Amino acid sequence: MTTDGWHLAIADALRRNDIRYFATVPDFIISQVLHHLWEDEGCHVVTSSREEEGLGMLSGAYLAGKRGALLMQNSGLGNCINTLASLNVALQIPIVMVISHRGDVGEYNAAQVPMGQAAERILEACDVRYVTPHTVEEFEAEADGLIKLAYTRNLPVAFLLPNDLTGGRYSK
Amino acid sequence: MNRNAATKILAEKLTNEVVVTNLGQATLEMQQVRDRDLNFYTFGSMGQTSSIALGIAQARPDVRVVSLDGDGSLLMNLGLLTTIANQAPANLSVVVWDNEVHQTTGGQPTATGLRSSLAAIARGAGIDQVLQPQNEEELSAAFDRILNEDGPFFVEVKVDPGPAAGEMGRDLMWYKLRFMRALAALHR
Repeated sequence: MTTDGWHLAIADALRRNDIRYFATVPDFIISQVLHHLWEDEGCHVVTSSREEEGLGMLSGAYLAGKRGALLMQNSGLGNCINTLASLNVALQIPIVMVISHRGDVGEYNAAQVPMGQAAERILEACDVRYVTPHTVEEFEAEADGLIKLAYTRNLPVAFLLPNDLTGGRYSK
Repeated sequence: MNRNAATKILAEKLTNEVVVTNLGQATLEMQQVRDRDLNFYTFGSMGQTSSIALGIAQARPDVRVVSLDGDGSLLMNLGLLTTIANQAPANLSVVVWDNEVHQTTGGQPTATGLRSSLAAIARGAGIDQVLQPQNEEELSAAFDRILNEDGPFFVEVKVDPGPAAGEMGRDLMWYKLRFMRALAALHR
């Protein structure tokens, strides 16, 4: 079941934490967040060819004084691992990742399941602090604090978005 | 061309530009030829050198950014050329030292020594200004263009294989903080 307004809550949390620069490889779920950012003339959204490329680009922007967020599916997290470790963790470059979690409860596509099950262990292995908000209320309670931690600790953080927050692949 | 000589030709022209260098040879060569606060050296994340340069260029449109990439590395991230073409940052240039080998790992051949052309791929990606200087005189003219005209530019420089001389500085955090402070202090 979809939690109404979850996508606007995420877009607003990013913007009120001074994040206006975004990279994405979109999926159906994350596009509902992107819709708010695409409409906002104050935001710049770059569609990358691959998530790792977006991560490199946002890391460059951080070095130049600009916060950034990477919006993607958890399959894209797999495409990011080397840069996440050898750039963001090794050089302490913070980034906010917003990740739609495919391949968990309710999944219909078998190809999504192994990466979906690996997602949390990948984040843990790369020293990424993450939360899995199941409702808008849970998201609101954790959002500002997690983003603040990214820039205090100078390491990436992630919002891993479960189906019961987003409604999954077929949400409206 | 010789990469050390080519790096010197660029280094002599630099003023307030950011230079992002690719792990291995480009980083070591730039450290040796002209270490400077506005150099950002990479030591890992193979393939992402010019992605980092794109992010810096978009965050600071008032500053020119030159990426010194390598053929082996850029071949890992060819999709980036389409992103650069479509974002079209006027202050970004990608220079590829194309020695047709994976130099740092022992000189194994890359695709650019066979049938593949990075300059042609860049054009196909939609980058209009692709330069292919054939000698040091043309290289000097190409650098004058990328440091004075609106980009984005892609510059393919065929260089001889061979390792850069000298000892690599590896204090990653020190280089990062020095770079961030220098760029933040650069007048907008």
